[in-house]
Amino acid sequence: MLSLELSRISVSYPGLLSPVLDIPSLAIAAGSRIAVTGASGSGKSTLVSILTGLERCAAGGSIRWGDADIAGMSERGRDRWRGAHIGLIMQDFHLFPGLSAVDNILLPARLSRAMKPGDPDRALMLLYAVGLCRADQKIETMSRGEMQRVAIARALLRKPGVLIADEPTASLDSESGDAVARLLIDLSVSNESTLIVVSHDPRLTGQLDRRITLSAGRVASDRAHREKAA
Amino acid sequence: MTRFILADLRRLWAGSLVIVLLIAFATALGVAVTLQERALRLGSARAADRFDLVVGAPGSETQLLLSSVFLQPSPLPLMPGNVLGKLAADPRVAWAAPVGFGDSFSGYPIVGTSTALTTNLSALKEGRVFSKAGEAVIGAGVTLPLGYEVKPTHGLAALGGETHTELAYRITGRMAATGTSWDRAILVPIQSVWNLHGMGGHADEHDHAAEAHHAEDPGHEDHAGGHGHGHVDPDAPLDENWTAEAPGLPAILVKPKTIADAYKLRQDYRGNGTLAVFPGEVLTNLYATLGDAKRVLSAVAVGAQILVAAAVLMVTVMHIGQRRRQIGALRAFGAPQSAVLAIVWLELFILIALGILFGFAIGYGAAMMLSAMFSGESGIVLPVGFIRDDLKSVAAIVLFSAMLALAPALLAYRQSPAAALRA
Ligand SMILES: Nc1ncnc2c1ncn2[C@@H]1O[C@H](COP(=O)(O)OP(=O)(O)OP(=O)(O)O)[C@@H](O)[C@H]1O
Ligand SMILES: [Mg+2]
Repeated sequence: MLSLELSRISVSYPGLLSPVLDIPSLAIAAGSRIAVTGASGSGKSTLVSILTGLERCAAGGSIRWGDADIAGMSERGRDRWRGAHIGLIMQDFHLFPGLSAVDNILLPARLSRAMKPGDPDRALMLLYAVGLCRADQKIETMSRGEMQRVAIARALLRKPGVLIADEPTASLDSESGDAVARLLIDLSVSNESTLIVVSHDPRLTGQLDRRITLSAGRVASDRAHREKAA
Repeated sequence: MTRFILADLRRLWAGSLVIVLLIAFATALGVAVTLQERALRLGSARAADRFDLVVGAPGSETQLLLSSVFLQPSPLPLMPGNVLGKLAADPRVAWAAPVGFGDSFSGYPIVGTSTALTTNLSALKEGRVFSKAGEAVIGAGVTLPLGYEVKPTHGLAALGGETHTELAYRITGRMAATGTSWDRAILVPIQSVWNLHGMGGHADEHDHAAEAHHAEDPGHEDHAGGHGHGHVDPDAPLDENWTAEAPGLPAILVKPKTIADAYKLRQDYRGNGTLAVFPGEVLTNLYATLGDAKRVLSAVAVGAQILVAAAVLMVTVMHIGQRRRQIGALRAFGAPQSAVLAIVWLELFILIALGILFGFAIGYGAAMMLSAMFSGESGIVLPVGFIRDDLKSVAAIVLFSAMLALAPALLAYRQSPAAALRA
């Protein structure tokens, strides 16, 4: 579990008058489950990129996960840190076609040479946990709901301290959406990960502890939910 | 990682195949041109190597070489017949053999010569050397059986020469392969050639002059029917005591006893109605004058190499475009730069290396085929082979593509993964 402290975060693009993301400070406690919502274009995906180090923020900002400030890391350093600490689930999965479900789950660990002896078994266990049983099925033959589950299993393989998902249910029908939402919450609990989910989906956001709403790159509201049954 | 690369290549197999073929053909062109040019140079040099010294009448050295060594029909002036006797008796000469052209049989040149040549050029593989006017020895590349009767055609049959009816040569022996044009020759006693063309020992001065004068026409068609064909007795014994009255000769092949003798003989037989040449030297001069042709070939080869480089570059650029998202995704999931570099580099380099490998195989095959075709037609063996320097050019090409293949992966680190994923 990792806690987060953001300070003086600002992201601007040339040609735009105001920054697409402007957050003077924000703190998230370790182990909490956060929903991020907001209108389209309000900067949610940009926030995810900043939190995961996929994008740099303007000089002076700091992104402190636990003891590490990833704003000060090099590109390569951030890649490495992300692989070890963040389970990332993106809206369009970014799974690798041509490989089987289980190979996709293991690929990041393999490429980072961070495979542990138990990992293949853990991959099968995770696959089972997300409700898939054909480990050798090629990824491109799977339905979108199944692909999203593989993506979740992949994100969890290295027991990340944080699980971050960008619109994980957006491209799924309501039934698979519900299932994926439940999975994310259950698995983040059982894996003891901090969970940050970007979503418009009330069935998903309604189950989380705290909801941050963005508007034009700023935090418009930040509310703790009623105590939910964990 | 290997699995990832293989899966990727399999997924994009059609594009990969095109890339491999593109590079393969460009490489093959360069390889074939280089190999063929070298084979031609080596092969002709080796073919000329068998003949130390050629003596002919003053005229073009190149033509003397082409006619006597490579048996290309070309108009040669004649030198006086007594030169042969003089050379044969010279103590510095191991052997000297006359060469007389004019007839052919189904595309094989019939060359009049003496037993000095048939016994010395190479060992006999089967049969025996001719011993009568109506007998012949064939080169290793002549596909006729021993005992076969060869009816000479005046000039080249392809040019519509008439067939001699006065004499048929019976094949009595076959020589071992020499790798020269002589492998395709039918060797007969030169007396028979002289007699057949009415130039017997008591030389007909008029015909002799005509022969020399119209020498630019190896087929002699212009006086076909007009020139007196002498009667030849196929059982007449050989007479190789060359007298001063021997008819004019286009060329004499000479084997000097020592190198020093060779230089002295060449000195002595330049001027006074004769021209002595070292075939190797003439060939060298020939290559020098053919320098332009060679430059054209080299330009083609260089062009092909540029084509390879362009192909590799194009492939790289395409690769960068295709891979940006994939590289972004790999990075997003924490793949270290070394792994990303290795994947992108290997995928591209495997394709390029495969292309180059196939290219060399295709180029080598093409050069072999061309050489085989050329050997079949000329008898000259063109040795197709790689030399040590080829390794250097291969290394250069491979190094160049290896560096180029790094570009997509290195460029990928100039942008954030987020930007790459948006691509
Ligand atoms: N590279 C860029 N150049 C210019 N503007 C950009 C760039 N990337 C993002 N933006 C802008 O930043 C703003 C925020 O984008 P972002 O993707 O974070 O929105 P979002 O909240 O995720 O929206 P959605 O709900 O549609 O996914 C948008 O207005 C977008 O146009
Ligand atoms: Mg978004």
